[in-house]
Amino acid sequence: MTRKDERGHRWTDLGVERAVIRIVRRLSPGFGRRPITRKTRLHTDLGWDDWYVLRVVKPIRRTLHETLEDRVVLALRTVGDLVAYVWNRMEDA
Amino acid sequence: MSACRLALAGLLAARAAVAQAPATTTAPATTAPATTAPAAGDEPAWTILVGHSYSSARALTQPATFTLEQERGQPLYTVMDASALLRGSLAPSAWLELGVRARGGSARPPGERAYGAMARMYGDLDPILLAAGYEYLADGHFEVTQPAAMLELTPLGGAPGLGTWVSPALHLRWRPWLGVSWGKGVRPYARLSGECVSGRVEAGIETTSWLVRGSALGFVAGDLSLRLVGGLYATASGEAGRAPPTFEPSGRFGVGLGFRLGPS
Repeated sequence: MTRKDERGHRWTDLGVERAVIRIVRRLSPGFGRRPITRKTRLHTDLGWDDWYVLRVVKPIRRTLHETLEDRVVLALRTVGDLVAYVWNRMEDA
Repeated sequence: MSACRLALAGLLAARAAVAQAPATTTAPATTAPATTAPAAGDEPAWTILVGHSYSSARALTQPATFTLEQERGQPLYTVMDASALLRGSLAPSAWLELGVRARGGSARPPGERAYGAMARMYGDLDPILLAAGYEYLADGHFEVTQPAAMLELTPLGGAPGLGTWVSPALHLRWRPWLGVSWGKGVRPYARLSGECVSGRVEAGIETTSWLVRGSALGFVAGDLSLRLVGGLYATASGEAGRAPPTFEPSGRFGVGLGFRLGPS
C-alpha cells in the first residue's frame, strides 16, 4: 500500500515508519543505541518534554513533505502515534 | 513564621490530561498501515487539558492538588490548586490556549488565595518557541490584581539535556524561559526548570526570578514523588519565595498521595 505526500511523492507505510524513526533517532542523542520502535514512548522513554516534541515537525516537513499540526503533535505519546499521524495525513495513491 | 506551614495530613493529587490524542498504534507497519491516528482535517478543533501546569513551562509534573495543611496555631484548612486549559489550533505552527486557575480553600485566608485567567498564543519558530499572551491574576479579595501582557521564549532544544534526557543513564532534563510582562510596570523574568527520574522516583524543581522595581524577587517550587503503582504516587512538594500577584513572602510544604493520568 502506498500513499502520496504533499508533493506527490509515493511512500509505503514501512518507508514512512523508517523515515520517522530516523528523524526521532537524530533528535534523541541521549537515547544511545537502543532500538527505537513504534512502541517507544516520546516522553517516558526518550525523555522529550512537551516542547521538545515539536522538533519533529521541521524534519518531517523537509523529509516526508507533510505539514503537521503542532497542537496534534503535542498530544502524541509514542513513535507509533507519530508514524500513524504522518501516514494518515498522506493521500491514497 | 507565618510563611511556613507544616502539612499534617495527606495530599490528594489528581491529574487528567484529557488530550484527545491520536490512538496509539502498535501494529507493525509491515503488517498493517496505521489508520487509527487522525487523518488530515480530522483532528478535533479543541483539546481540553485539566490539571496541567498553568504556567508556560510545565516543569513540575504537579497536578491539580487538594491538600490539607496547617499553619502553626491554626486549625487545619484545605487548599485546592487547579487549572484547566483549552487548546486549539490557529495554524499548523501556532496554537491558542485559554486557561483558568484557582488556588484557594475552605478556610484559606482570602489574601492568600489566587485566581487567574489567561489567553496565550504560541508560535513554533523552530528552533525557538515564542509565546505571547494576556493574563489576569488576583488575590482572594480581588484587591491585588495583576493584569499583564507577556512575551516569552524558550529554545526547543539544542543543548545536552535541554528538553530531553541527558543520557540513557541520567534521566535529567532542563528548560530555560526568558520573558517580560507588561502590567503594573515592566517585569522581566527568567525561569529555569529541571526534572530528574530514577526508577520509581521523580523529582522536579522550577525557579523563577522577577525583576520588580529594580529588585530581583525569586520563587522556587519543587516536588519529589515515588511511584507506587500505576499512576499512584507518594508525593512531597514545597514552594517558597515571592510570587505574583502580591509578591509577599510565602512558603508551603506538603506530603501525601498523588495520582497522575496522561503524559509526563
